[in-house]
Amino acid sequence: MRFKRRKLGISPPYVSMADIAFNLVLFFVILAKTQDESHIVWEPAEAQGAKAAPISRVSISVDKDGLVYFNGKQAGVRDLAPLVEKELANLSPKDRAVLLKIHKETLASTFEPILEAVSQAGGEVVHVIEDERK
Amino acid sequence: MAAGATIESSNKSRRNKASALQTAWVLNLLTDLAFNLLIFFVVCASTTPEKGRPQQVPSASKDKPNEAKPQTVEVALTRTTVTINGAEVSSKDFTGKLKELLDVKPKPEDRVVIVKSAKDTPYRHWIRVTGMVEEAGGVITLQLEEEKEVTVR
Repeated sequence: MRFKRRKLGISPPYVSMADIAFNLVLFFVILAKTQDESHIVWEPAEAQGAKAAPISRVSISVDKDGLVYFNGKQAGVRDLAPLVEKELANLSPKDRAVLLKIHKETLASTFEPILEAVSQAGGEVVHVIEDERK
Repeated sequence: MAAGATIESSNKSRRNKASALQTAWVLNLLTDLAFNLLIFFVVCASTTPEKGRPQQVPSASKDKPNEAKPQTVEVALTRTTVTINGAEVSSKDFTGKLKELLDVKPKPEDRVVIVKSAKDTPYRHWIRVTGMVEEAGGVITLQLEEEKEVTVR
């Protein structure tokens, strides 16, 4: 007597595919950056008193060649004050932090005017530094 | 006997099907779990917040030195040295000596410290010294060279 074997149907896991798709979307959204500063080569100075830097809309960077960048785009020192003022317009005092990412060997002739420009525009200066190793 | 064999084989196929379905569900859940763990570790590894130090920097004083208020502490920086009121001080003694000068001034407006930097002062030296000034209780004011536009005919 022949016994019929029922073939077991294997179907793709449709339910978990949707989960996987959403997880991948989250993964790429988290990785995506609104400001790309990977082209700026700089080393932070070491000092004491470093805390977690606040989230800021404005960041000014100075790379190892002394070039000044405003939110990832190259800018002149004289243009900084109006640019900072424009970005910080209508923000409350606690949201006016300006991150300064200055290469450790930058000379005073470059960074002092930057500090002055930020101060003139009403920003709160936050120096991005590394904890000093004792 | 043949009927018994048929019943036994159908029971066996039902059990096989049930266990295959169970295995499929478990695999689905394990895949989800694996991806969730992957995202968790990627997010933890990638988000390293930057460290910074806020600093209150009032607009630079463009006063000439002889117009500065009397008894205001003046710190001058060069490439490698630091002086307080013209006297060179070592890094180790800087905070102590500055604190001595500022402790006699209880009001915050009197604790202004004018920081003058030579053009070739590196940022790492400046940030360390200004950190020590703040630690000693001073309020930093920068003294910059005044820029004037001159028309050449």
